[in-house]
Amino acid sequence: MNIAYLYTSTVKELFRFRRLAIWLIACVALWGMGVAFVMYAGGSATDSYSQLSGALVFRFLPLVAAIFSMAVLAQEVEQKTIVYLLTRPVPRHLMILMRTLAVATATAFIGAIAAILISFAAKGGSFLSNEYLLRDFKGILVGSLAYCSLFVFTSLIINRAMIACLVYAFIWETMVPNMQGNMYQLSITSHLQAICERPQPQSDSNPLTSIMSGSLGTNLLTPTQSWLSMLILTVVMLGLSMFWFTKSEFLPREDAE
Amino acid sequence: MGFKPFTENSKRPKQTQIRVKLLPMSAHRVELVNASRWYGQVIGLNDVTATIGPGVTALLGMNGAGKSTMMRLITGQIRPTTGSITVYGHEPFANPEVYRHLGYCPEIDNFYEHQTGRQFVQHLARLNGFDANGARRRTEEVIQAVGMTDRCDRKIGGYSKGMRQRIKLAQAMLNNPDIILLDEPLNGLDPVARREFIDVLHRLGDEGKSILVSSHILFEVEQMTRSILLLHRGRLLASGDLKVIRELMDKFPHRVRIESNQARELAAHFALMPYIISMDFTRNGLEVRTKQPNDFYAELSTLMLDHNVPVAAFSSPDNNLESIFRYLVNE
Repeated sequence: MNIAYLYTSTVKELFRFRRLAIWLIACVALWGMGVAFVMYAGGSATDSYSQLSGALVFRFLPLVAAIFSMAVLAQEVEQKTIVYLLTRPVPRHLMILMRTLAVATATAFIGAIAAILISFAAKGGSFLSNEYLLRDFKGILVGSLAYCSLFVFTSLIINRAMIACLVYAFIWETMVPNMQGNMYQLSITSHLQAICERPQPQSDSNPLTSIMSGSLGTNLLTPTQSWLSMLILTVVMLGLSMFWFTKSEFLPREDAE
Repeated sequence: MGFKPFTENSKRPKQTQIRVKLLPMSAHRVELVNASRWYGQVIGLNDVTATIGPGVTALLGMNGAGKSTMMRLITGQIRPTTGSITVYGHEPFANPEVYRHLGYCPEIDNFYEHQTGRQFVQHLARLNGFDANGARRRTEEVIQAVGMTDRCDRKIGGYSKGMRQRIKLAQAMLNNPDIILLDEPLNGLDPVARREFIDVLHRLGDEGKSILVSSHILFEVEQMTRSILLLHRGRLLASGDLKVIRELMDKFPHRVRIESNQARELAAHFALMPYIISMDFTRNGLEVRTKQPNDFYAELSTLMLDHNVPVAAFSSPDNNLESIFRYLVNE
């Protein structure tokens, strides 16, 4: 069994020209918003990048992850093409593992493009020498794995998982990091902030970007704690997905009812 | 272009042969023992015990009889609620070893519409374990076998129903399986393609493959095979050879229609036979009801030869699948 093919075919499928074009257009739109923000808010390029990255790139990341994660299984079940996958001589746990890693790769790629364009919007020609950009790459990679493994598992256990994932991505991930107390530890965004070692926002930061980037609360997580937490989350979610997919039946909804 | 037979040359090339672990051989490749499947409050399959061996077997029943449920159980997409199902002695659910021996053509008409027929089959060939070159070669072979060579580079989204059926069949043949399950495979095929398809089934059956074909079109099933599994509302009403099943149905006497210009003379002879239940005169002759058709046919030939009674034709209008089906489901 060619395990690598499970991975490469999924990546190829996610990067079909039309799909990729849509995501690239979305990245360019983010860049446009970044340029508008820099022109409107002013301030230092580093501070602008930091605010924009948290408010746009790391808000965009769970959206990409949610949409891509549905392609792992939920979409196949909806379109009934799941039958072609389930009747192949491929161990189910490997199928879900490789497909999840593939969507995480695709998510990280789109996230990285968005981060580069935001860096370009904030820093102009010197966008690649942005030290925060390199740190953000780490966060994007870890975030892609964490979000995708969480969303794939969600899609395995509930119907219409897309709604649940989008609610998580936009409501939970926006509100919880801004809360007082220790609730922020339950948000992936807070851990990504720690991994990226993002500086505390300036007192004159734009309130909207502060809310969007989840920097209103007090984040006391250390990078080591967050790396460990994200590793555990990813491994547990992948393990659960592999177990669930191997043990459960996946029938198109109307057939199961 | 029509269906082409699978030949020795069309088998997997050695260098691309996928590793197949041998499963224990069994006379019955597929075995269901008291298998039931519930979907919540609805029963899909009810206490079915059956075996499927080499040759073509038809899975027959009306819509909702449980044919697709049985197919899904055998292909390991779902588990039985009670009872057991084995393929080569192994439980099929999520069992890759079983899938190496099994080809499945589902009833659904869903595909990755943006792909071409060739891309679709090749993708599934890779998932079946072929390397890139092997997958290309094998795809070419199965596509040629189903007569899609000239159309396989078009997007599936633009395919007719018949072309979709052919592509589904092609992907079921990829690993040259011993067991082939075809769920309503003739839907959408034109008459010529149906004929060719049935010929291919016969050929595969003769090669020793176990083929289970589901259908609710009795006429087509009759052309495919005499061996049937008859499902009705989830229950297995009958299984085995059509003729044997018919003979076992004592409750319904066999009807024999005889065309002759000496119907009265024939009737006089038949009246003396103890196993004749009734006779009706028709426009061209008469129709007889008997519980012992074999004895009756033997006597009829004696009558024709020894007494020179002219018989233009005779037929048994209820010795067919449709009648058996109607009798068994009480309709």
